[in-house]
Amino acid sequence: MGKGILIEGVGKRYGTGDTAVDALKSVNMHVAPGEVVGLIGPSGSGKTTLLKCLGAVIEPTAGRMVLGDQVIYDKGWRIPDLRALRRDRIGFVFQAPYLIPFLDVTDNVALLPMLAGVPNAEARKRANELLKALDIEHRARAMPSQLSGGEQQRVAIARGLVNRPPVILADEPTAPLDSERALTVIRILNDMARRFETAVIVVTHDEKIIPTFKRIYHIRDGVTHEEAGEGRAFQ
Amino acid sequence: MKIIPLQSRTLALLGVVLPLLALFVYVALRSGPLAPVAVTVSTVEARPISPSLFGVGTVEARFTYRIGPTFAGRVKKLDVHVGYRVQAGQLLGEMDPIDLDDRIYAQEAALKRAEAALREAQARQAYAQSQAKRYEQLLAARTTSEETVDTKKQDLKIANAALAAAKEELVRVRADGAAVVAQRNNMRLVSPVDGLVVARNADPGSTVVAGQSVVDVIDPQSLWIHVRFDQISATGLAAGLRARIALRSRNGQSLKGRVLRVEPLADAVTEEILAKIVFDDLPDPLPPIGELAEVTVSLPELPAMPVVSNAAIREVEDQLGMWHVQDEGLRFVAVKLGTGDLDGQVQILDGVDIGDRVVVYSEKALSKRSRLHIVEQLPRVAK
Amino acid sequence: MISLAGRDILNAWGKFVFTGIGLGLLIGVTLTMAGVYRGMVDDGKALLDNSGADLWVVQQDTLGPYAESSSINDDLYRSILAMPGVAEAANVTYLTMQVRQGRRDVRAMVVGVVAGSPGKPGWPPYLVAGRQITRSHYEAVADIAAGFRLGERIQVRRNHYTVVGLTRRMVSSSGDPMVFIPLKDAQEAQFLKDNDAVLQQRRRTAENPSLNRPGVPGLLDAVIASQSNNPYVNAVLVRIRPGYSAEEIARPIRRWQRLTAYTRSQMEEILIGKLIATSSKQIGMFLVILAIVSAAIVAFIIYTLTMDKIREIAVLKLIGTRNRTIAAMIMQQAIALGVIGFVVGKITATFAAPLFPKYVLLMPLDTVAGFFAVLMICVLASLIAIRMALKVDPAEAIGG
Repeated sequence: MGKGILIEGVGKRYGTGDTAVDALKSVNMHVAPGEVVGLIGPSGSGKTTLLKCLGAVIEPTAGRMVLGDQVIYDKGWRIPDLRALRRDRIGFVFQAPYLIPFLDVTDNVALLPMLAGVPNAEARKRANELLKALDIEHRARAMPSQLSGGEQQRVAIARGLVNRPPVILADEPTAPLDSERALTVIRILNDMARRFETAVIVVTHDEKIIPTFKRIYHIRDGVTHEEAGEGRAFQ
Repeated sequence: MKIIPLQSRTLALLGVVLPLLALFVYVALRSGPLAPVAVTVSTVEARPISPSLFGVGTVEARFTYRIGPTFAGRVKKLDVHVGYRVQAGQLLGEMDPIDLDDRIYAQEAALKRAEAALREAQARQAYAQSQAKRYEQLLAARTTSEETVDTKKQDLKIANAALAAAKEELVRVRADGAAVVAQRNNMRLVSPVDGLVVARNADPGSTVVAGQSVVDVIDPQSLWIHVRFDQISATGLAAGLRARIALRSRNGQSLKGRVLRVEPLADAVTEEILAKIVFDDLPDPLPPIGELAEVTVSLPELPAMPVVSNAAIREVEDQLGMWHVQDEGLRFVAVKLGTGDLDGQVQILDGVDIGDRVVVYSEKALSKRSRLHIVEQLPRVAK
Repeated sequence: MISLAGRDILNAWGKFVFTGIGLGLLIGVTLTMAGVYRGMVDDGKALLDNSGADLWVVQQDTLGPYAESSSINDDLYRSILAMPGVAEAANVTYLTMQVRQGRRDVRAMVVGVVAGSPGKPGWPPYLVAGRQITRSHYEAVADIAAGFRLGERIQVRRNHYTVVGLTRRMVSSSGDPMVFIPLKDAQEAQFLKDNDAVLQQRRRTAENPSLNRPGVPGLLDAVIASQSNNPYVNAVLVRIRPGYSAEEIARPIRRWQRLTAYTRSQMEEILIGKLIATSSKQIGMFLVILAIVSAAIVAFIIYTLTMDKIREIAVLKLIGTRNRTIAAMIMQQAIALGVIGFVVGKITATFAAPLFPKYVLLMPLDTVAGFFAVLMICVLASLIAIRMALKVDPAEAIGG
């Protein structure tokens, strides 16, 4: 994996000619494996657009993206199968957990390896290991609707991690949680990032957790600025 | 490892889906052409049967007297009404004589005049005889001419002839008178027998033609039933057989009778045989003439033979027969039928034997390949 | 790989099964409607089968005893019977009328059958209870659908008849139950309508001066007697000896007897092609509409089920699920819904069929065709939902 994620001069322009709007002008980020960085900015600053570009669901119009040691975007996608890219190399953790309601916790997590063609038993084994690591193994047979918000988010993180992606994109993962649970989630993300050598980008404007980041990217009018965070330790 | 939370859910799902599937399989097998045909079977038994014949007819009187005038005239009076019992010789009514009485008076006068004419002729003849005798004596005394004597003799002959004529005239006039009186007497409508008035076809004042009936009288002792039997089911009909008679107005009441005679002439158009049935005892009150009667004629009992219900008889490929239930399946056997009784039991002359099991009732037409479902009673048949 | 469709169904099986049952009832109605059509055709065929005839001889240029009224003399059968190749010829009358039983009134087709033994053309070919007619008057065998019971007295026009036997599936082409009575009674019933009518006719005759001449006693009686019998029947049913073709017998009858004769296939053509043509088209139209409605409802249900999952589908797509997997999930659900619906529909139709007043015939082939039609409809209906699901933007899962 090595390099984590590197983003250079990524821009996104909607429309053409006079009506063109630059949602992203120049984004430059680098997140090392095992590092958790914050991405903060006011509404309309381009956070979500950036996340969509990173998540390979919309195409940027400029710049370069390198994931691990592979260039995935350089003025055009360099990867033919974006779905497989999303499935295997990017982990998503959303504001709401978005678990699949008709699958139990294990299968929610195991679904990704299964989609990648891993046999069911093997996929479940992987899922259970992760659930154990996330300390939610006891709810492995529960349906998502039976879980609390924090538990759901943990399962969502497990799902994000299950394919051992080099990068995890977390979109407001703590928004619905109280501060204690929010911090727990961040702690878990930190733990997991270290453990699995994953680069984690947490998009947030949650004041509770901002002090936890060692590095923070501010995004304002489509341009990122890096600054050092407080990097406050967890109790 | 078993999925515990899913288990109750799975069970519930199975609880719904399995009965549904079971029901589906049941439905697929028990309806439509795959379903077996419900039938009842019975065993051919030897039994005596007493066949009988059934016909319908009407009550009629053997003798009906239609009483009416012998020539056209007007009814003057009619004393009897329908339902009256009358005796032989009883005056039932009279025709209006119109001028007959006057003609009788005229005849009486004519008779008297003829008698007077006869007396006159007798007087003339007596005088002519005495004259003739006297002139013969005078001729013997030669006091008169021979010519005069001849004249007197001629006078006598004329008087004799006139007398004879007067006598015959009297006979004629008397006969004329008798004729008018006879005519007068014929105006009376008289019953020829002891009987019952069943119809009164004209009332006083109405004019009737010669031969038209004014009053119908029957002899109630002569009531019988004119019965029609379909030719196809009249085998064995003969005089003297016992019969049961059911009158339409006396539903459920059975009267006894016997066949008096089978008519030698059958009805060629309606294909019926005609017969007369008489009552053993006349019912009281008498049944009205023309009432519908159902007659069942009992034929002698037949010795025991293989017998089966006629509901078992089927027609397959122009052959009468029945479905014989055998161990290996159904087989259609052609049979020869004998006599049957009115309860639907038919003798089997040939085809099946005593003890054979045959299909009696079936839900639908059978074929060799039909699957059978033998039941006591077919569904939806209420007893 | 686990079955996403199966898991989804398992998760919400109550909703799913009940939707399936609802759909099943609709499919049941459709199957029943097909059964009604088949029943109509079968009624017509049953009528022909039950008459036991190979050839129907009717009044010249009429459409036979069922589709049109026909009247021929009742002694014509003799000359037909004398023709070579004719095994049996029997008079028959058909008259649809009200048959009274106690206070009840049943519309029935009264069939007059010749006297004789069972197996003659026109006789009920089988019974479910009682016995065949043995007396030449005042006995009746009725179809069980008429609701009469053994031993009951029924009234046809002026006379009472005892029900001695019951049969089944003996119906007219319009589905009225048949009541078999002896031919002579039936002829009389056709003609002597009721006592009032008889009386009125007598009165009219008596008032006619040329029929009631004062100078000719007995003329009126003779005229009335000749008016009160009915030497006509509706048809002669002919059974043909093996080795002769129906057409071979029919030709000389048409040519020399100046009558019309129909063979079995012609009769079917008349009954099914002419008599029930419009009704069957009507039902066919209804069937088409029901099929369209069912398809629309299946499409709607599948669409709604998919709409409910749009978020999950976006997530599935975002985390890299293939379109094929998503499409398969939707189609499998549609097919499962169709199968449940079909099973429920078939069961409903089978149990509902006997409740219908007229015969409903569910043909296995129709059922199989119906099954495939349901699957087709489900597949087609799911295509809309699949199209929609595939258009879902995985980006929707991010940020909203």
